[in-house]
Amino acid sequence: MLANVFTKTTLDRWKGTAVAAVSLALLLLMAMAVYRDIDLDVYAGLPEVFRTLMGVPESADVASLGIGVLYGFYGAVTLAALALSMGAASMAGEERDGTIGLLLGNPKSRTEVLVSKAISMVLLTAGGAIVLWASAIVVSSVLGVSITGLLVGPYVIHMYANALVYGFMAMAIGAWTGNRGLASGVPAAVMAISYIAVGILPLIEGWTNAAKVFPWYYFDGSNPMINGISWGHLAVLGAGIAVFGAASVFGVNRRDLRGQTVGVTLVDKLRANPLTRKVVERLAGSTRVSKIWIKTASEHQGLLIITAYLMFFVMGILMGPLYALIDETMLSFADQIPDALYAFVGAGSGNMSTAAGFYEVETFGLMAPIAVMVVAVAIGSRGLAGEERNRTMGLLLANPITRSKVVLEKAVAMTLYSLVVGFATFAGVWLGALLGGLDLAVANIAAVSLLATLLGLGFGALALALSAATGRVKVAVYTTVGIALAFHIINSIAILNDTVAGIARWTPFEYYLTSNPLSNGMNWGHGAILAAIPVVFIALAVFLFQRRDLRQTG
Amino acid sequence: MTYNEQRNNMDTDFAIRTGGLTKHYGDLPALVDLNLDIKPGEVFGFLGPNGAGKTTMIRTILDEIRPTSGWASILGMDSHLESVAIRRHIGYVPGDLAMYPNLTGRDTLTYFANLRGGVDWGYVNGLADRLDAELDKKVGDLSSGNRQKVGLIQAFMNRPGVLIMDEPSSGLDPLVQREFQKMMREVANEGRTVFLSSHTLSEVQRVADRVGIIRHGKLVALEFVSELRSKAMRRIELEFDGPVEASVFEQVPGARDVTVHNHHVVMSFDGNMDTLLTTATQKYHVIDINTQEADLEEIFLTYYRDEEATT
Repeated sequence: MLANVFTKTTLDRWKGTAVAAVSLALLLLMAMAVYRDIDLDVYAGLPEVFRTLMGVPESADVASLGIGVLYGFYGAVTLAALALSMGAASMAGEERDGTIGLLLGNPKSRTEVLVSKAISMVLLTAGGAIVLWASAIVVSSVLGVSITGLLVGPYVIHMYANALVYGFMAMAIGAWTGNRGLASGVPAAVMAISYIAVGILPLIEGWTNAAKVFPWYYFDGSNPMINGISWGHLAVLGAGIAVFGAASVFGVNRRDLRGQTVGVTLVDKLRANPLTRKVVERLAGSTRVSKIWIKTASEHQGLLIITAYLMFFVMGILMGPLYALIDETMLSFADQIPDALYAFVGAGSGNMSTAAGFYEVETFGLMAPIAVMVVAVAIGSRGLAGEERNRTMGLLLANPITRSKVVLEKAVAMTLYSLVVGFATFAGVWLGALLGGLDLAVANIAAVSLLATLLGLGFGALALALSAATGRVKVAVYTTVGIALAFHIINSIAILNDTVAGIARWTPFEYYLTSNPLSNGMNWGHGAILAAIPVVFIALAVFLFQRRDLRQTG
Repeated sequence: MTYNEQRNNMDTDFAIRTGGLTKHYGDLPALVDLNLDIKPGEVFGFLGPNGAGKTTMIRTILDEIRPTSGWASILGMDSHLESVAIRRHIGYVPGDLAMYPNLTGRDTLTYFANLRGGVDWGYVNGLADRLDAELDKKVGDLSSGNRQKVGLIQAFMNRPGVLIMDEPSSGLDPLVQREFQKMMREVANEGRTVFLSSHTLSEVQRVADRVGIIRHGKLVALEFVSELRSKAMRRIELEFDGPVEASVFEQVPGARDVTVHNHHVVMSFDGNMDTLLTTATQKYHVIDINTQEADLEEIFLTYYRDEEATT
């Protein structure tokens, strides 16, 4: 094993993994403490598909609910995201930073370097999984909650294998292309679609088996917390890991390494072609660099296109016909599901028996705020700290412009992109409702899309303020995501406990879906609160950025 | 000192002025009580080894970072309070230059020209020709020297009153370096000012009128280049047709660290060259002479030995 590459990669990465795993453990403690005090009889008699969908095991008790709900989504996604970011950074990250040449100047082969990084990813993800495993046991014993009959170990093993699939997928894409953005974006999109598909497809008669196409199915499709390890499912995940692992090794050896250079895009080719040069030159050249906000926006257009497409097509248009296909009997059951259970999956008090409730759970519950957040936080965190990390801020500020102008122009780009994602969601859901013949008012779709946009933008503005205050991209991203995650969980379980409900009032999620805007229309009070949040944080960013020394390096 | 008192010091007769400029990073003093007056039309060389505080000084006067105490002014304007106005009149090349890898050189220049306004593209193209710069390639695809050329053009393109450059010639080939030095002289001849931070003595000697030497954040010398050159330590190698004695050369004033290997003498020397050659030729037959300019480090070690001893 290449001890130094392995050690360096591991040391670079262990903190993030540890912080994420420990935060999840604390959130589990909070959730279980709330669950401990509620009467769980309401969950008896739910159809199995719903239990699977909601992450509620058959023999619902405090421990299984707490672990299932918290780990089934938040835990599994966090672990997969950690593996994914390590996988994407492995080869493509060194290339982006221009350090790959230096690294390979040593007598080590590309395969050796890649394998060292892969081992680091495998072990760090394992470390995260072990913390989750141990914290489930510790938390239940601290709270005096019995976990007899719950197979936490097998569940976490499935979760671990699932995470590694995305980690190795990212590593393979990075190894083949050297493009870090692609290496993290594609697996993240696959994960999002996979999660949604595995949740919805079983609800449609005759489509249950279609869920098996998606990797997420092999994480908890066999309900490992109750049934133990499913060797068949693990083998499928293992095969995926092996295929992506082999593809990584093959991919990294077959191509030219990128020495901090940039790829040739379609736009570059069009710019080089005499026929198209004039038009493209205006769009990609002089227009792109005409203003700070336009340039900032152009840097994130790939992310915007992927996110807006996902929201428009998958979460918007596809959902309408899918809902129309859902078995009538399922819907009648859905009517009986208690609000609290919807609350567990962050759907406010949505109710799947109506089209509005379905969209609130599936499209707006998690995905719409996440989509806006992804774009807004990417721009917000990198807007200032990214230029400092890339050492371009000094050059930018050598021009006769104020620091406030830089912050505000970055905020303009962030706001504009958030609105585009929000609009794509609105347009997709509207078309989806038309296609599925669903009864949704256009104004209400617009209202909830706007609320989702403002909510996501608020977190983007928080990231911008953190970026302005610290000049560190990672601090801005991780703090914002951590706060959003904690707020979301608090809000999800608020309905179950008065104390938590009191806290939830201080989180922005409280002002998002609680008024059921898709059924009831815009709640202007809530809208005003959500609109005020980004304004406050952008103003804070302006204030903070003026006051500090610029960082010289990241 | 009150602000008004400070303002009185910010005489517009000076291109750059600092008064007691001090910057600490935590407990670490990076810049200590720097007092500097640089006149318009001057090429000022700012010398010092790595980590001496050159970049800190530049970043402070450009308001990237704020002084712990003291003040700075450029063209009579306060470096913090009037920083935007100042930046209308300066060109800047940061040390360890980085730009946007996805933009071509021309895009990069257009971007900064848009932020700045009033750029004459005929002049820009002229600069690009002189430096043999490739403006239609993406910056990320350029070699470091070619990237540096784009950085230089963006600093020169608006004909700034004050050019502030931190190690600007790194990566440039000798021909381009020569052209760049000509460009700096032209700027000074037009009455504009060049502030050139460097650790390459030869370049500074070639273009600068005056130099400041900074060490451990303190200005240890402020001299005209002509004076510095006369004081500069040289490394001298003499080859003779027969064996020589070290003691003969150790007696010559200004000779230090004399070593003799049979026919060969090596020494550091800051004395009168005539005296040395007379001594050498009186007793022996010289076959070859090799003299090298001492690098900056050697000047520090010898020329400022006294200063070090006192501190």
